[in-house]
Amino acid sequence: MGAYRHFPILIIAVPLVTAVLMPALSYRARRACMPVAAAALASSTVLTLLLYRVVKPAADGYLSYHLGGWEPPWGIEIRVDFTGLFMLTIVCCVSLAALVYSRRYVEHELEEGKLFAYYSLFLLLSASMLGFTATGDIFNMFVFMEILALSSYALVAVTGRRDAVRAAFKYLLMGAPSSIMVLFAIALLYSVTGSLNMADLKGIVAQGAYSRVLFASLVFFVMGFGVKAALFPLHGWLPDAHSIAPSPISAMLSGLVVEVAAFAILRVFFSVFGAGASAVSGTAEALGVIAAAGVLYGGVMAVMQKDFKMMVAYSTISHIGYIILGISIMNEQAVTGALYHLLDHGLAKGCFFLCAGAVIYRRGYRRIDQLKGAARQMPWTCAAFSLAAMSVIGIPPTAGFISKWYLIWGSVAGGRYLYAAVYLTGSILAAVYCLRLIYYMFFVAPPEGSWEGEGKDAPPSMLIPIWVLSLGTLVMGVFSFVIINRLQEAVGWLL
Amino acid sequence: MTRLAENFHYVGAVLLFCIGLYSVIMRPNIIKKLIGLNIMETSVFFFLVSLGWKEGGIAPIYGGGAEPSRMVNPIPQALILTGIVVAVSTTAVALALVILLYRQYGTLDVDRLMREEELEAVPPGREGEG
Repeated sequence: MGAYRHFPILIIAVPLVTAVLMPALSYRARRACMPVAAAALASSTVLTLLLYRVVKPAADGYLSYHLGGWEPPWGIEIRVDFTGLFMLTIVCCVSLAALVYSRRYVEHELEEGKLFAYYSLFLLLSASMLGFTATGDIFNMFVFMEILALSSYALVAVTGRRDAVRAAFKYLLMGAPSSIMVLFAIALLYSVTGSLNMADLKGIVAQGAYSRVLFASLVFFVMGFGVKAALFPLHGWLPDAHSIAPSPISAMLSGLVVEVAAFAILRVFFSVFGAGASAVSGTAEALGVIAAAGVLYGGVMAVMQKDFKMMVAYSTISHIGYIILGISIMNEQAVTGALYHLLDHGLAKGCFFLCAGAVIYRRGYRRIDQLKGAARQMPWTCAAFSLAAMSVIGIPPTAGFISKWYLIWGSVAGGRYLYAAVYLTGSILAAVYCLRLIYYMFFVAPPEGSWEGEGKDAPPSMLIPIWVLSLGTLVMGVFSFVIINRLQEAVGWLL
Repeated sequence: MTRLAENFHYVGAVLLFCIGLYSVIMRPNIIKKLIGLNIMETSVFFFLVSLGWKEGGIAPIYGGGAEPSRMVNPIPQALILTGIVVAVSTTAVALALVILLYRQYGTLDVDRLMREEELEAVPPGREGEG
């Protein structure tokens, strides 16, 4: 094991400390902010990838770090198991791509004096997501969730424009009560178990006492995380916040922030309560119905949108429904599919928002009908968009196909034929809203005066992250065998 | 009924939670919404601190002949301290946003803000297209 023992804390601490040092750094060397931030995130990424050598999909394949040397269940434990490691990898890769993309984009959107604040908040957001995913202590999870929430409110409002401030406030008004609900859930759980460590809690919950209090606690957990994940009836904040935030932040919010909240529901279900708990099976039934409604609602609303980023935002609601529906089916294939969909969604939605950002950066166009003929001037951006769109629709051989395959397999294996139909309908709706855009971009002549003049694609520092995410969906589809069997094994141990 | 009377502090916490949630959802004034948010937070702190209460309890410090059975559980108090820090930061960020909102819109009324939102929903240059 050796040095690997300290990796879990370093992955979180390096970006967290760098975030705090960022204002001081900007005082001395303003230009160094972005490279230093990128270096911090890159080191977390490397450490995360190295962990694949020690973390195995087995019952004791996890890596546990005791903060300050206090043994769990008394001290705070950071526990990286295989599913957690998979989520950490997604967070690292997508946030690194969004950070590289940010350099040109925020120079264009923000004034010079605000740049350090942007990078500081960005690192804070990434670090809190890493901590939120890796922690094995339920109260520590709450603290990281609050850091995550506060930095994302601030990042939505970072431009200081009228609509941005309003969207951020709307987000806060829904986000803050949901955090309190999670805290209340933790208080209820603590009142009957007397423990805060997840592994310890699972053992105590399995004894089967106080089932009513546990049920209430789980309902509060699901409501709290449901708001953060923009689960269908609780999604009100998402379309505004995601479409108005600066594009790299939209990519982070849509690709990662709602995802880690969905991942938290999975953690609470399977790592805290355990799949066998009576509270879980009751809640999962209701959650499945809500998530299925969300898949359809998000899809229909996305088809109706006129604004590019708004469309992607509603598509996010639909895809969060996919993930939560997969979790609620609770068999091995469906949960594997949900986890793989986290990867696919992070890459594809991140790519969508970055493409939208590239168009806004070059032309300032936001409406869908303004994209007619865009491929004549921005062929690389449009091609990357199309590849990511294939993954959102679920066309083989992209990652979206693999995840939907597992999700549908799981729902059929669990006897939920209706849910399989919901997944297919969701894919058809995705095809409608994605193919319309591809048609506009490539096959429609641009209207007078819209795509004329000197043709220029996005700069390389924006195109490279776009293509990394876009090709990522293809590579993770073609080479899915590298990881998906191990992931399924890990889910088998989790359930 | 007697169980309810014995556990009156839980009832109090739930009532506070509902009052807070009501003002967050129903009050049109943004500052009142934030006050409601703080009441909700306080209700959870109240619930947690009442869990750790013990009649005649002493601080959990060993030595000096203190009986362990009389010591109170320090964890709920530690949790609340962290919770208060989190609540204060949330309130600070929220108030900063309120100041920005007031500067931009000149109102703290949510209904008026929503009306502004509807007006803004039509971007310039789109009116002629129907």
